[in-house]
Amino acid sequence: MPQDYPLIVVNDVDYSYLNGTVALKKINLKIFKGELVGIMGKNGAGKTTLIRTFNGLIRPTNGNIYINAENIKSKTTGTLSQKVGIIFQNPQHQVFSNTVEEEIKYSLKSLNLSKSETQFKTDEILKKFNLDKYRERSPLNLSGGETKKLAVASIFCRDPEILIFDEPTLGQDAKEISFFIELINSEMKKGKTIIIVTHNIEFAMEYIPRTVLMADGKIVADGPTKKIITHEFLVTKSALVLPQISQFNLALNKIGIACPDTIYSKNTMIEFLADYIRNKSKVVSGENN
Amino acid sequence: MSLEFLNAFKFQKKNTFVHNLDPRAKLLFSIVYSISALMFTEIVPLFIIFLTLIPMILLGKMVKEWIRSIRGLSFLVIMIIVLNTFFISLGYAIAMIIRISIMITAFSIFFLTVHPNDLALSLISMKVPYPYAFSFSLAFRFVPTIANEAQNIMDAQQSRGYEMKTSGLINQIKNLFPLLVPLIICSIKRAFNVAEALESRAFGSFKDRTYYYIIEYKFKDWLFTIYLICFFIITIYVRIHFSFMPEWFAWEMGV
Amino acid sequence: MHLIEFHNFHFRYKKNKEYQLNDINLKIDDNKFILLCGQTGSGKTTLIRCMNGLIPQFYPGFYRGYVNVLGKDTAETPIADLSTEIGIVFQNPENQLISMNVEHEIAFGMENLGVPREEMEKRIKEVIKLTEIEHLLDKAPFELSGGEQQRVAIASILVLEPRVLVLDEPTALLDPSMADKIIKLLKRIQMEKRVTIIISEHRMDLVIPYVNEIILLENAQILEHGKRDEVLNGENFQRLNINKPVIYSVFSKLKHEKLYKEQVPASIDEAIRYFQNYN
Repeated sequence: MPQDYPLIVVNDVDYSYLNGTVALKKINLKIFKGELVGIMGKNGAGKTTLIRTFNGLIRPTNGNIYINAENIKSKTTGTLSQKVGIIFQNPQHQVFSNTVEEEIKYSLKSLNLSKSETQFKTDEILKKFNLDKYRERSPLNLSGGETKKLAVASIFCRDPEILIFDEPTLGQDAKEISFFIELINSEMKKGKTIIIVTHNIEFAMEYIPRTVLMADGKIVADGPTKKIITHEFLVTKSALVLPQISQFNLALNKIGIACPDTIYSKNTMIEFLADYIRNKSKVVSGENN
Repeated sequence: MSLEFLNAFKFQKKNTFVHNLDPRAKLLFSIVYSISALMFTEIVPLFIIFLTLIPMILLGKMVKEWIRSIRGLSFLVIMIIVLNTFFISLGYAIAMIIRISIMITAFSIFFLTVHPNDLALSLISMKVPYPYAFSFSLAFRFVPTIANEAQNIMDAQQSRGYEMKTSGLINQIKNLFPLLVPLIICSIKRAFNVAEALESRAFGSFKDRTYYYIIEYKFKDWLFTIYLICFFIITIYVRIHFSFMPEWFAWEMGV
Repeated sequence: MHLIEFHNFHFRYKKNKEYQLNDINLKIDDNKFILLCGQTGSGKTTLIRCMNGLIPQFYPGFYRGYVNVLGKDTAETPIADLSTEIGIVFQNPENQLISMNVEHEIAFGMENLGVPREEMEKRIKEVIKLTEIEHLLDKAPFELSGGEQQRVAIASILVLEPRVLVLDEPTALLDPSMADKIIKLLKRIQMEKRVTIIISEHRMDLVIPYVNEIILLENAQILEHGKRDEVLNGENFQRLNINKPVIYSVFSKLKHEKLYKEQVPASIDEAIRYFQNYN
């Protein structure tokens, strides 16, 4: 359950690239420990820029960022990465070791653990991600999905408090997405804070309770996912698309079927339609009597 | 030495006399001026050659970029002054600085005003086989992509504890591996992707190839070429008959 | 004659022990919008590479059977010749754009084929109108957004006037509204130019409404290939562990509860039509 003090505080943050493009404008954001937050918006809205400020890869031109009440200005990315783990889109950008096992060990290197501890953590994480059988294999010989798991594993093994995923469901099929959901659930149980940058509206509707919506470098909305991405105006402004159930809901209302706007998930829609059909057939058979 | 000085060689699209010259004329220009600069070690002739470059810089509206390139060279300049003064003379050092400025400016003008497409086309017109000319422009095309990729790799590695700054020469070399290995692997994978895309667009039958863009030598290109030829003849003449030049021409600094 | 025909085709890459494609029999005809789906690793990309000769000419390996494009064997016919019939747009548009500006990018394929300049100009004019990239002609590839890159890639293939346009996860890197635009563009291309579109996609909700046929791939084999509604309502689609369209999930549950007896609707519009008639 989310606790009372904000773990991450972003205060009036601006960021412009060297060539003058403004990527972030007056960002104010509070994320509490144990929360699962989604960041959504069209490409170029500033989502990946924002998450890069959390571990110091990008330093704001104005404003401050606090993690656990400490200003992160003076900390290096290497240090911050112990608390904030970002898993980027392309796993190919980090694999370079001779074996899968060495790849994990490299991630643990900067934690300065003892040899036995390192080995223990390595074994543990390889088992957790079903990569044990590939231990001796070169990371280049893994399939796309397995490389992605390796990339995730190499951040997870460091056990950061805050996990940030950049487009985790990209190109993943249903099986891989289920594995990902399980992973998130188990981390949430441990009290981790998770931020997910995603385009996947259906995924966000079902699994992410809070959404921060961005457009043109600003936060245009911040609140319960179900309220935000079903809101027509916000969705158009941030170049997203309404979730299928919401679209269906609106369409039903247009033809005179009073579908309440509390219906936005698959299951509630199924229930609603089931009731509707049953009632209709009752009326019909009533009329026939 | 800051990498900023490389900006002095990055093509910028403008509509000036210099930009509109045929790329081959400009290549000739860079070569002629560089050879002329190499022919002299005396300050005055080198300075005169340098002065003739200034109209080109002004005509091409490249003053800002040119200043940037010279600024980026400042470290090199100081090294040259120190070493040459120590081993030969201050006069010689200054002459060397002017010489280097001429050569760098000449090539900077070339790269600033020639679009990589045109560069490939000029190579082709000089009978360089198409695959080589094409690889050349392909390399140019992917430089920003690879730079971007390198940045992404640095971000990803830093996110798992990699520290950019370390001490000690051996450590610094070791520290390059987590950056270079993924970069090389990604580049090789990219090369395969590019190759298969090229195959799928009929790349390969060079004999019957047509060209969408063409470069043509126009009247002003011929004029410019004639100017370059005259310039070159004059410099050779001066070099050969150097002893017949007025005294101030051969002036050397006393130091 | 079919546009593409696979006949008892098997293929494994040189370095692999297992076959990536097992006994593939497939016939592709013109003016269709076809969805290729299957789990990751089921062989989709491999199948796509067979369609223009990249397999087995560019990717060496062992094969049995044959693949014909308009009667021509893809193992014997030069890929350059096949490229005028089958166009492939690969996953990452960035790696397909090889020129320094968009205009030249579109001309590139035609240059390779020796198309005369006037013809090149004519085709470019047409194609940039259809793909709505007239304003991008001078831009360099890295200056383009993901959606723009994808449109340029599509234009640069379309200009070769292929009979089939194959796309490998074209919307993967795009945001939802851009993905929607691209799918609509592809449908327009199919209908205006009578080009068969074959698209491999995970984002079912976006694509299914426009599709005529579905090919289901599982474990290197073709599980089913048929008309969209037949496949959608079949057992195979139900059973496969792939991302299913939301409307499909809703209505197949209703069907399971015996509350709905028709064919599962493939789009919100179809579902609405059902309820309109129901009233």
